[in-house]
Order: sequence, then C-alpha cells, then structure tokens
Amino acid sequence: MGKIDVLNGNKAAAWGAKLARVSLLAAYPITPQTPLVEYLATFVAEGEIDADLVEVESEHTALSVLQGGVFAGARTFTGTSSQGLALMYEPYIRTSTMRLPIVMALVTREVISPQTVWGGQQDAVTVREAGWIQIWCESNQEVLDTVVQAYKIAENKGVLLPVNVCYDGFSLSHMAERVEIPEQEKVDSFLPKPDITHVKLDPDKPMSVDPLTAGPMLTEFRHKQVTAMKYAKEVIEEVRQEWSQLFGRDHGGMVDVYRMEDADIAIVCMGSPAGTARVAIDEMRELGIKVGMVRIRVLRPFPVEEMQALLSGVKAIGTIDRNVSFAAGYGTSYLELRTAFGGKRMPPMIDFIGGLGGSDVTLEQIKQAIVITQYVANGGEYRDVTWFGLDEVDVDQLFDLEDQADQEVKEGIV
Amino acid sequence: MESNNNNYSTRPKGAKATLVKDDSFFTKKRFGFIFREEKKIKEAYYDVTRHEDLLSPGNSACLGCHAELALRTTLRILGPNTILAIPPGCMGGIGVVGFQGGSGTKIPVFFPLLDNTAAMLAGIKRQYQREGRDVNVVAFAGDGGTADAGFQSLSGAAERGENIIYICYDNEAYMNTGVQRSGTTPKWSWTQTTPVGEKSQGKSQKGKDMPMIMAAHNIPYVATANPSFLPDYIDKLKKAMQVKNGMSYIHLYSGCPTGWKFPTEKTIEVGKLAVETNLYPLWECVEGKFRMTYEVKKRTPIEEYTRSMQKYAHLTDEEIRSLQYSVDQNYKRLKDLCRIT
Amino acid sequence: MSAKVPDKLYRLTGDDVASVGKGLYVVNTGLWRYQRPVTDPDLCKRCSACYMYCPVGCKLELNTHYDTNLDWCKGCGICAEVCPANAITMYEEVGEE
Repeated sequence: MGKIDVLNGNKAAAWGAKLARVSLLAAYPITPQTPLVEYLATFVAEGEIDADLVEVESEHTALSVLQGGVFAGARTFTGTSSQGLALMYEPYIRTSTMRLPIVMALVTREVISPQTVWGGQQDAVTVREAGWIQIWCESNQEVLDTVVQAYKIAENKGVLLPVNVCYDGFSLSHMAERVEIPEQEKVDSFLPKPDITHVKLDPDKPMSVDPLTAGPMLTEFRHKQVTAMKYAKEVIEEVRQEWSQLFGRDHGGMVDVYRMEDADIAIVCMGSPAGTARVAIDEMRELGIKVGMVRIRVLRPFPVEEMQALLSGVKAIGTIDRNVSFAAGYGTSYLELRTAFGGKRMPPMIDFIGGLGGSDVTLEQIKQAIVITQYVANGGEYRDVTWFGLDEVDVDQLFDLEDQADQEVKEGIV
Repeated sequence: MESNNNNYSTRPKGAKATLVKDDSFFTKKRFGFIFREEKKIKEAYYDVTRHEDLLSPGNSACLGCHAELALRTTLRILGPNTILAIPPGCMGGIGVVGFQGGSGTKIPVFFPLLDNTAAMLAGIKRQYQREGRDVNVVAFAGDGGTADAGFQSLSGAAERGENIIYICYDNEAYMNTGVQRSGTTPKWSWTQTTPVGEKSQGKSQKGKDMPMIMAAHNIPYVATANPSFLPDYIDKLKKAMQVKNGMSYIHLYSGCPTGWKFPTEKTIEVGKLAVETNLYPLWECVEGKFRMTYEVKKRTPIEEYTRSMQKYAHLTDEEIRSLQYSVDQNYKRLKDLCRIT
Repeated sequence: MSAKVPDKLYRLTGDDVASVGKGLYVVNTGLWRYQRPVTDPDLCKRCSACYMYCPVGCKLELNTHYDTNLDWCKGCGICAEVCPANAITMYEEVGEE
C-alpha cells in the first residue's frame, strides 16, 4: 500500500517523474505548468530525485537538452503548456521522428490570441499530428499513474515514441485531490532501467545520428514510425493490465468507458470534463435516460477499433470538446470520431463546444448535452454543433410536456 | 575506404603548369611566416599527427575551404573521445554528419537543429558527467547557427556554465544556402541578399562582434583563431579542452573562396592578411583577462585585404578609409582591454 | 481484392529505427580536380606546411618528400601556395592516367 496524499495535478506529475527515476530534467516555467517546475526543483534540491535539473532559458532549449540527454542514455522529463509548446514545436516534432522516448507533461491551455493564460485544450490538439503519443488524464491520480506508465510505453522497443501526458490546466493542474502514491520498490519492479541504443552517441561505439536521408529511405523510416504508433495501442493495453494487477487501479487503456453496457446514447469527451460527465450521467440515468460515456484517453494513436465497437450500436452520440478544429467547424473529438468510422455506418452525432479559455464545462451543460443527444436519438433534428455560451440552448422545447417521463427529466436537469 | 596503395601524384604527360607563383598578386615575401614559424609548425605537426584524420577523406566541401581545414585539424587535436555537433550549415551540407546511412566522421556526430546546438550538447554533457565519463562535447557551428538563429541557446548554455566546447567557423554569411547575409557579415560586404547596385553598396550595417559578446558572458575561455595560424589555433583548442568549469568558445575566422570570390589557392593567405591588417586580431580571454596571442608589428593597410577578394571589389577609396578607421579603432579598443584586464 | 498484400520490406533501412550512419560516407573528390599538385622531391624540405594546410588532408608523408593522394585531392592549389620551398607545382589535368 502506497502513501495517501492530497496533490494537485502538477505535483502528481512531478511525483510520477520522481518514481520513474528520471536522470535529466529541463523545464521552463509557463502558466499553468509553473508549479510543476518548482516541485521538480524542490525534489532535486532535497535529493529526492537523483537528477540534473537544467534551468533553461526557453522551452525550445528544454526539449533540446532532453534530446541530448537521450542521446547519452538518459531518462528524461519535462512539461509545458500553450505558447511554450508552440515555441518548442521545432524540437517537438523532431522528438518523434528521431524516435526519442521522452515523456512530457502537457498542461493543456488555450492558445493566444486573445491574450489568455487559462485552461482549454487547443494547444495539445493542435500538435496531434506531430507524432507524439497523447494520453489525456481525467484525475490527478491518473496523472501520476500515467507519467510512470508513459515511460514503459515510450521505451518499449517496438514503440520508441515520445509521450505527452495531457491534463487540463487549472481544472487538474491546480486542483488538489486525494492521490495514492505508489511505493518506489513496486514502481521499480514495474519499470526497468532505460536502455536506449538506437540513437546513442558514444565514443566507444561511434555512429552518426540523423545524417541527410533521401526520399526512399525517409519513406521507410516514416512507415516504421506509423507502424510503431499503431503497435503502441497493444502496448498501452498491456501496460494497463500490468498496472491494474500491480497497483489495483485502472484508468482505462485507449479509452475509458463508463456505464456503456446498456447505453442508448453516448457522450464522448476528453480530459477533465469527463469527471463532471460521470456525475451528469448518474443523475440522468436516475431520470431514465440510458446514457454512458466513452472517454478518449489516448488521442494519438486514435482508438479507431474501440470506438467502432463501442459506438456502432448506440442511437446517438454527443461529443463534448474544449477545443475547435478548423477543418469544418467542429471540435476535435467529433472530427476524429467521424474519421474513425470512415465510410462505415455510424449513429447520428452532434458536437458541443465549451470550456474555452478557462470557462467551465458545467454539470448543467453536460446534462443539456445528454438531453439533446437523447432527442436526436429519438429522431429529432438539432444543430450539429452547439457552442455553449454562444448558441441558445433551449431544451424545454425538446420535451413532450404531456409525457410524464419527459416532465420529470425537464425538472431534473434544472 | 582509404586505399593502401596510395594514388601518388605525378605530372601528366604534356600537362602545363596552371599556377605560376610569380604571377601571383601575393608575393613570396608574405609567406616568410612559414619560415619564421617553421619550428611552431613542426610542433603543431606532432600534435596533429597524434590522432588519425577522423573526418571522412572525401566530402563535398568547396575547393580551398578554410572551415574543412579547421575541422580536420580540430578533430585530430580533440581525438576520438569526442562527440561532435554539426548544425545545418556548410559542414552539415558537405556531409560531415553523413548521408544515407553513412557517417562523415569516425566519431559520434549528429545534426542538432540550427538553433539548439548548445542545448543538445548540454544534455549530452550533463548525462555523461552523471555517469562520471569525461568526453569532449563539441560544437562546430557556422555563424548563422551561432550568432543568429543559434544565439539564444548558446547564450543560455554559456550563462548556465555548461561544460562544452563551442567552435564557430565564421565565413561571414550563409554560405551553405548560397551566400546570404548573416549577423556577422561585415559592413559593405557583397552577398546575394545585400547586392551591390545603384542604391546599395553591399551590407549597410556592421557585423556583430560575436567573440566579444561571448567574452561578456564571463565564461572561462574565449578566443579568436584563424586556421591560417594553425599553431596558434591548436594551442587555443588545447586550452579549451582543459576547461572544466564552464563553456569555452572559439571564434574561427573562415575564409570562403566561393562566397567571397577569391582564388581557391589563396585561402591561407587571405586568412593571414585578415590578421596582419588587424581586421581579425588573434586574442584570448582567460577568466576575464584579455591577451593578444599574435602581435602584429606593423599592420598592413586594409586595402590589401579588400582587394584580395571580389566581395569588396566595389569599395570606393572613401569607404576603404572609413573601414581602415574602424579597423584601427577596434584594434585600439582591444589593446586597451588587454592593458586594463 | 483477393491477392494477399505482401508485408512491407525495409530494403534500405533494415533494422534501424531512426536515421543513423554507421559506415563511412566518402565522396570521390578526386574526380573534381582540374589541376593537380606535383611535388619535386629534390626541392621538398619536408617542413610539413602542405600537410598541415591541406584542407582535404590528402598529403602523404614519404621518406623523401610529401606527396599527394590523388584519390581525394580536389586540386585547390593551397599546397603549392604555402610551400616555402616552391617544391609543388600545379599541373592541369589532361584526362589521361
């Protein structure tokens, strides 16, 4: 049995790095990730992490230092957010193409402009095609557990890809929750020492890293990268099994499923809104709506088969996005789900966009989303994307007031 | 790949001599320094031959490349216990990091990004220090990767005291992409992006004084060097290798026959002129103390330097006078620094 | 489609996960030359100036003098210029072996 503590998301991530026995850290403070850097510095100063903390002058350098460290065989950790991620983009994309198993906390935040420092998911979804594995957390316990798991996934010889552990800025990063901290010995038995040899700069065994590489060869490397990303799905599931056997906790694998066994309709979301959605689902089930939730835990690689298996049978899907995609005016999870189903028949789906720039996705909003999705499941017509706070959401008109059940639902959601 | 039965050079039947020295703009007198420095060169020879040539025997550097000479010499002094970073630039372009699964050197070498060389090296060095291994961790970067795009990460690493050796070969423009202006391109230089025309006399701003900027970072060792003065450079490189308490930075003058437009065989002499005109004085700054490492007894007029290459061909007499004035001023300031520190 | 799609073969990259260089990459720079240095062994003082200043590192130290390895010599002419004894002459390449 580990130790119980009350940790915010940033401290939980720092604990994850400590338990993973990282040897090289580099990070540059940015809201809302700043406390993470402070916790790491404190851990190093007090000798609790046996690592070098490089106090860099930018995020670009932070990730670059870690890349150098990996070339010398280090296990590395950093974290960033929003504009820091944008500045980091150049080494960021190269981390995945060079197949460096770096783990990075991505404390998701809105991107400017307008000038903002508050939560959102726009930064992380913007870089979802940069070749990193993205795991999205719902709770601080999951943040801690996932950071440790991430090393096992990233350093797997068949994967060798960097992992972003994404958690919502402020909603998770600054909110304290009960977290169980695993015992170091147990984590050590779960996570072996890093053994990175595919790009090693060692005078005893000289090789050149990243020489100029022309098209046909590059094509092979790109294919290997995509294959590794697909294989990561299997590894993520294996790691999930092993973790739950060792520590008795299961946060899901590619997806996290809640009350989907007999669900008529499904809510799909990502990150911290999932916690609120669980409460909304419980309450709406009390009122007779058979709703369940599929939480996208891993955005990259996308859980294509899982989504098809879980969602083909429901009558309607409502996605909740704290981000937008510029492809067609929907949120990211809506767009990704459409892609996942491809040409296959899928239930009607509607999208809800909210929680941008630090505004909350409230319990009431999720309940409204559930009611609207149920209405669509019953054959009703509704606008395909609803912006909370912008579009008029009048659920009253959706109810048949003659119907006793509808009447109860209407009273229940207010 | 090195052949054992070496392909010795003999005169092809009926071939005429192509270079006749007496016709040269440069007189033999100027090369008296080889005689003067004969002993030093022999000493340097023993330093250099301690290790084999660690660079691939054939790479795509232009004929008469000063930087290729510098890199070969650098690696032979550093030896095989070295990790080398070659950011995008001439040395990357010629294949020092390699091509298609081959390496351009016999030591570990890699491409950092143009703008994160010092940062990546810091990560490598930190990890090896943790493991208790003493490895030379060295950057060989151009002026763009040092003074322009790479400046932030270099400055940060210098301030943090990262124990790396950073060598900048300054050919005063982006030569790899075909001679575009850089932050160290001197005033009045012709480049593709500072052309000479009715309304332009080449670059209109002064270049940044990178070695002075690095000295202002208060790092343990800063030096300027010039591959035409190899014994001096080798000396400085050996000092840089001894530094264990922070960064050492060497700024290398690097003549470019292609970009500056002078004959390929003149590289060494052009480099020598840069020093003898006081345009590029050789100095070092050890723990804040400046010292000239090569005293020029009587400086050569700058005109000889500007006339030796086409990139300054458009200069008027007045501009040359103005250039002479700024060269003398800079030199005086440097001498003052040596005196007061 | 009934035909089985064959597994992809990594013909060029083998087991490598990322682009790395293991063998030595060598450009045949001897082919570039339009002029070649020829040393007169009688004049050569073996001062090693040509050896030290050759950018290509293609000077060979012999018992009698410094010669040039024409496999790599690019023909820049630096050795002829730096030779204080005037022992090296550049001759045009006339294309015969």
